[in-house]
Amino acid sequence: MPPPTSRSADWLAEAGAVFVKEWRCELRTRYALNTLALFAFTTLVVASAGLGPLGASAAVGTPVLPVLLWLILLFAAAAGLPRSFVQEEETHTATALRLAATPSALFCGKLAYGATLMVALEALVAPLFLAMMQLDVAAPGLFVATLLGGGYGLAAANTLIAAMIAQARGRSTLFAVLAFPVTLPLLLLVVELTRNAVAGEPSGGALTQLLLYDATVTVASLMLFPVVWNP
Amino acid sequence: MKNLLAALLWLWMCLVLVGAFFYAPAAAGFIGYSSRILFFHVPLAWTAFVAFLVAAVWSGLYLVRGRPGDDRAAAAAVELGFVYCLLATLTGAMWARTMWGAFWNWDPRQFSIVLVLLFYGAYLALRGAVDDRQLRARLAAVYALLGVVVTPFFFWVVPRMKRFFSLHPDSVVNTRGTIDMESHMLQVLLASWVGFNALFFWLHDLHRRAAALHEAEEA
Amino acid sequence: MPGTSLRFTGLRRRFGRLAVLEGVSGAVAEGEALLVTGPNGSGKSTLLRCLAGLLAPDAGTVELTEEGRLLDPAGRRRSVGYVAPDLAFYEELTAGENLAFFSRLRGAPPARGQDLLARLGLPAERQAGALSSGMRQRLRWVWALLHRPRLLLLDEPFQNLDAGGEAAARALLAEHLAAGGLAVVANPSPLELGRAAPNLALG
Repeated sequence: MPPPTSRSADWLAEAGAVFVKEWRCELRTRYALNTLALFAFTTLVVASAGLGPLGASAAVGTPVLPVLLWLILLFAAAAGLPRSFVQEEETHTATALRLAATPSALFCGKLAYGATLMVALEALVAPLFLAMMQLDVAAPGLFVATLLGGGYGLAAANTLIAAMIAQARGRSTLFAVLAFPVTLPLLLLVVELTRNAVAGEPSGGALTQLLLYDATVTVASLMLFPVVWNP
Repeated sequence: MKNLLAALLWLWMCLVLVGAFFYAPAAAGFIGYSSRILFFHVPLAWTAFVAFLVAAVWSGLYLVRGRPGDDRAAAAAVELGFVYCLLATLTGAMWARTMWGAFWNWDPRQFSIVLVLLFYGAYLALRGAVDDRQLRARLAAVYALLGVVVTPFFFWVVPRMKRFFSLHPDSVVNTRGTIDMESHMLQVLLASWVGFNALFFWLHDLHRRAAALHEAEEA
Repeated sequence: MPGTSLRFTGLRRRFGRLAVLEGVSGAVAEGEALLVTGPNGSGKSTLLRCLAGLLAPDAGTVELTEEGRLLDPAGRRRSVGYVAPDLAFYEELTAGENLAFFSRLRGAPPARGQDLLARLGLPAERQAGALSSGMRQRLRWVWALLHRPRLLLLDEPFQNLDAGGEAAARALLAEHLAAGGLAVVANPSPLELGRAAPNLALG
């Protein structure tokens, strides 16, 4: 939680500094961007080539292809997002951060980095996916909203879990084990929403549920993060 | 006093067992005697849910007070809840084989119980992956609370998936808000529910005291 | 600096079956440096991590009072200056960028970092990953002093430093103590800290 004193400007400056630091380190190494983009592209090529030159028929494609899109995004996120905290513990920069940063500002900076990374990935993968799978989206607005809400939700849930597994043994396997039950409701929702967008059906309250999930995970993570981060 | 209560519990569970097979009639619309498994399946599932909540309450208490005993109580609740949940899944699958012809068919109820099992499993895996006692307690408590916050979404989201239609019988209290069950069956079911809950809390007490002794011996 | 003091009593910390700290107590007053000595594995670093708030003790209390106010663990973490071998910086960033980042987190003016860099003779434009171990130790000193802490926690503070580096670091420590600051210094062998210091021998 932001400190009760009137230091919200300092708090914002801190969160901003973390966000800028993350992107500056990322742009110097390109580690996460390269991993995510290559992973997404490889799986996309395999899936597309597997379906053959004609792609999937509309009857098969509408229910199946949204699952494929989100599987690609989910695993790309799992490959790239945990690094933001694992790296801090592995290179021992976490000690300096623990002593210098306000936990909530640190978390928000990291979350903003994760969310922008996800949106960048989606901006790359989604158009390519639609083109290679010859999938037409009847409701582009809903499609984009789902991508944004889903990408943010994945980033929010994964950032807290990344901070947890960074301090444990067997990090990569443990991340998948811990993240799956937490992100499953989100995945069911975004797959359903993507189907609605492709078919041009009304989505009912699913978009509201997605926003509520995002908000709930954000608030819960913000409250729980200081306990994860500090002794 | 505790021994007397344990003996009473033993007697109670024996009565439930006898009642389930000889006192309550087999329900109409069920194949053979398959309805009798519900006297075990339903209380097991409910108690697994209770264990979930108990674990969350102790986890929250640990984060507030930081007592090692609170963490032991949360862990004990999850370990027992995992066993209850596993037994509920198995009894459900056995019943599904008889009634629906297959052990597993992704009924929404099966979906949700698998999610709860995975969640308990992940919690235990997390505990196993941290050596330091304080850190283990903190991370486990956070994960338990995160689960309680997020899993309700699952129960809210799944019913809207049109591909998942349920064959699962009405809950004991059906959607019309009435209790739709023959009275002998209801008596046995409620007795069993009380018994399984008491069994949980008794085992929970034993389990956390054993964990405390184990830790004291290590230190 | 009126009303600054550090007291720790009955500190106990175990790692699994291993009791690293068992009832350690001590106190530091203004302008004083407490020297903690002991062989490797005697718990010097663990004690300093407990004092910094990086590790919660199983039992015992740490009380850091500044301007008559008792700090909570979060306040203590942000207040102390900490130099230790387990402190590292972002290798992709230059020394100057690392300091600029932490200055923004701590709300310290950028000039302070530049001033300290000059005093310790560190090249600001060098990548942190390309610094020698002696240069890294100098960077730790600069980092620890950015926010003008009242309490310095120094774990083997002069390791890897050459004669010039050690002289500069010692001068900074002497200034800190002369201004009424507190210090806890851990080292395997006794150190000459300039003035009669209380001593705590572990293990």
